[in-house]
Amino acid sequence: MMEHISGFSLPNSGHNRDAEASKMGMWLFLFTELLLFGGLFIVYMVYRTLNPESFLLASFELDVALGTFNTVVLLVSSMTIAMSITAIQLGDTKKSILLLCTTLLLALVFLVVKYFEWSAKIHHGLFPGLDVYKNLPPGESLFFFLYFFMTGLHALHIIIGGIIIAVVIYRTKKGLVNKDKYTLTENAGLYWHLVDMIWIYLFPLFYLIH
Amino acid sequence: MSNTNENHNEKEQVHISGYKEHFSTLMALLLLTMITVAISVFGANLRSLSVFTALLIATVKVIVVAYYFMHLKYDKKIYTWLVLIVAVLFVSFTVLTSIEYHNR
Repeated sequence: MMEHISGFSLPNSGHNRDAEASKMGMWLFLFTELLLFGGLFIVYMVYRTLNPESFLLASFELDVALGTFNTVVLLVSSMTIAMSITAIQLGDTKKSILLLCTTLLLALVFLVVKYFEWSAKIHHGLFPGLDVYKNLPPGESLFFFLYFFMTGLHALHIIIGGIIIAVVIYRTKKGLVNKDKYTLTENAGLYWHLVDMIWIYLFPLFYLIH
Repeated sequence: MSNTNENHNEKEQVHISGYKEHFSTLMALLLLTMITVAISVFGANLRSLSVFTALLIATVKVIVVAYYFMHLKYDKKIYTWLVLIVAVLFVSFTVLTSIEYHNR
């Protein structure tokens, strides 16, 4: 009788981890994000179709050099976070943390550049509610409204992504994220790549299409 | 008993992308960015960068990010299928609506 029981172990004895399910959960969340920004892109598409000339004129106000610089910053940060996953999988905790810190630093660079871009626009009175903005032709003010709302929401995602990366750094330092348990790093990476993807569309739509 | 089971599950053929592969991916993305910017800046008076071209290059970039950085290449195929379903739904809606508008 006892022999029979000793070979038996409870299939579920408390805290189980399921890396695959976590990843699936993250992807499902990313789909909701895609549809959120997708909706905004549709609004942009509709108003651009209705005001082609105004959108064209307004888009010349944006600084292509700064936009390009920020695109490169985000692309490089996407690589560093992907590499930090490689590092943790190989058991190189130090390298993983270093690469995560680099990603965080690049996120800060992105935000600083964005801050200067926004300040310049606000200084020129182009922010919704300011004098110059109020006197713009309707199509152009729409362009700036969409510019501020969409890049603003994107910047918020950069901030949230930065916080998540900081948490991953902390947990990796404490050993809670390690060679055998790195789902958090992977999911932070997925989120960060999504933020990068959204910028990949925002950049040409606002800065480049002339 | 349960421990060996867990270990077995964890080590179930995890693919590790190399540093080199990530670097090559970045180079491809930077090249595509340079192409878009070049078309836009040097052909500004020609209005050369149409919405279509810009979106096409951006979509290629996004596919590269998803395939390599987001590991879709090596993950279970279910993720690729889910992404495709969402993408096809979204693109078909916007494109069909757009066609409908322009053919009024």
